Amino acid sequence: MSANSGIVDILKKVFFIDLIKGLSLTFKYNVSKTITIRYPDEEKWIPYQRFRGLHTLNRDSQGRELCVACELCSKACPTKCITVIPMEDNTGIGITDRVAQVYEINLVRCMFCGLCEDACPTTAVRMGREYELACFSLDCAKADKHRLLAPIEIPAEFEGGYVVKAKLERNKEGIRVRPDLTKKKRWW
Amino acid sequence: MDINTLIEVALITVKVILVSSILFALPIPLTWIERKVAGHIQLRLGPFRVGWHGILQPIADMIKLMFKEDIIPDKADKWLFKLAPIISLVPIFLTFATVPVGDKITVLGREITLYISDMNVGILYILAVAGIGVYGLIFGGWASNSKYALLGSMRSSAQMISYELALSFAAIGVVMVSNSLSLVDIVNSQKVSTWNICYQPLGFIIFIIAGLAEINRIPFDLSEDEGTLAAGYHVEYSSMRFSFFMLAEYVAMVLMSVLAVILFFGGWSGHAILPPIVWFLIKVSAFIYFFMWVRFTFPRYRYDQLMTIGWKILLPLSLVNILITGLFVI
Repeated sequence: MSANSGIVDILKKVFFIDLIKGLSLTFKYNVSKTITIRYPDEEKWIPYQRFRGLHTLNRDSQGRELCVACELCSKACPTKCITVIPMEDNTGIGITDRVAQVYEINLVRCMFCGLCEDACPTTAVRMGREYELACFSLDCAKADKHRLLAPIEIPAEFEGGYVVKAKLERNKEGIRVRPDLTKKKRWW
Repeated sequence: MDINTLIEVALITVKVILVSSILFALPIPLTWIERKVAGHIQLRLGPFRVGWHGILQPIADMIKLMFKEDIIPDKADKWLFKLAPIISLVPIFLTFATVPVGDKITVLGREITLYISDMNVGILYILAVAGIGVYGLIFGGWASNSKYALLGSMRSSAQMISYELALSFAAIGVVMVSNSLSLVDIVNSQKVSTWNICYQPLGFIIFIIAGLAEINRIPFDLSEDEGTLAAGYHVEYSSMRFSFFMLAEYVAMVLMSVLAVILFFGGWSGHAILPPIVWFLIKVSAFIYFFMWVRFTFPRYRYDQLMTIGWKILLPLSLVNILITGLFVI
């Protein structure tokens, strides 16, 4: 047995079997697809629907705010980063006469656990798929009601888990990577 | 002096200028290709930001190298330090004087040879002159007055001396089969019969392994072992002096590919669907790709393993190869 395996070892060395194995592996990698995402310039990763990114405050089909300022989200929040101040309103902004006067999330303290989402009785708070939250000053670390109510870029029904074509845009407000959701690419 | 001699002189001058400018420009595409190959082997993309698919990256690097400060260490042997990059660069350029890229072509009724000179001792000349290049490494390491550089140059000189033997002996097998030392004749003899790789498979393997060691590439790049020696013999060099070493290394890689093609793969001979020069370039680029492929596949040998392979395996094997070839030729 041992003598036999010794011969096999010698033959392996003579015909460079291990070296050829290594070379064929690297050649396979060489011709296969790369895993690099050319992120800010040309491509962008669209997360799955379960992703917990920047919160969104939603509206119903008639455009009324779903949030009734019940403050359950701020009570459920483990880091106490949600501030809700309710107000009375009968002009029909919200679905009831109680709406949020102030709805502010401190994104620096938020740990994106999603408990606010679970606590919300009206499905007003949802974790979106926006993840580009970096900025130059701490002003943008506070997400106010206006920002949370703004229409979202990626529709909720869009199935994620893709890399799509994207374009890097620079303007006064900052740098944004705008995805083109029609051009899907399966990532790896 | 009649007009014909003048034209001959002019032709040779043009050829020399052409060859050396091509060799000077060659590292620009080669570094790009090497980094691309490296990237794709590691499932990356390689350089991508300067120009189309990063194709202008080497030019950006070159500009950066040119504007870097040219540092000469305080305690260095200044004269040798300045001389070393040139010594490593010049011999490798000199070898291309006898490297043929094709046979004669006829332009306007005048025969033009696609080589600068067809020496009757071509292969001997190339091996001898390429051997001078090691002095550049030794001087560079010695003159830097740095331990890392000295260790790197000691290693590389020992390595080159041990592998030069095996390399030359592997080439002797081809010379015996082809009955000539001239590279043009070697290629022409392969046109008549088949390529030398069929007669000299062992010689080819020895040649490639020794060649890898001779041009200081992985798995034999002990002289610039990043892990243990920082950068080896050129650790103290910067700016253009460093790029001279790089240039010499790339041209050496091209030389080794060209030699492998000429000695074992029939040079520019090939099927008539493509012109001979295209065949030659295809074969050479395949070898260059092979050297890069090997570089990003294998780890580095240990120094004692390197010496063992050189003296205990490659040298006896190459002698056996010569013996067997001799028996068959007779």
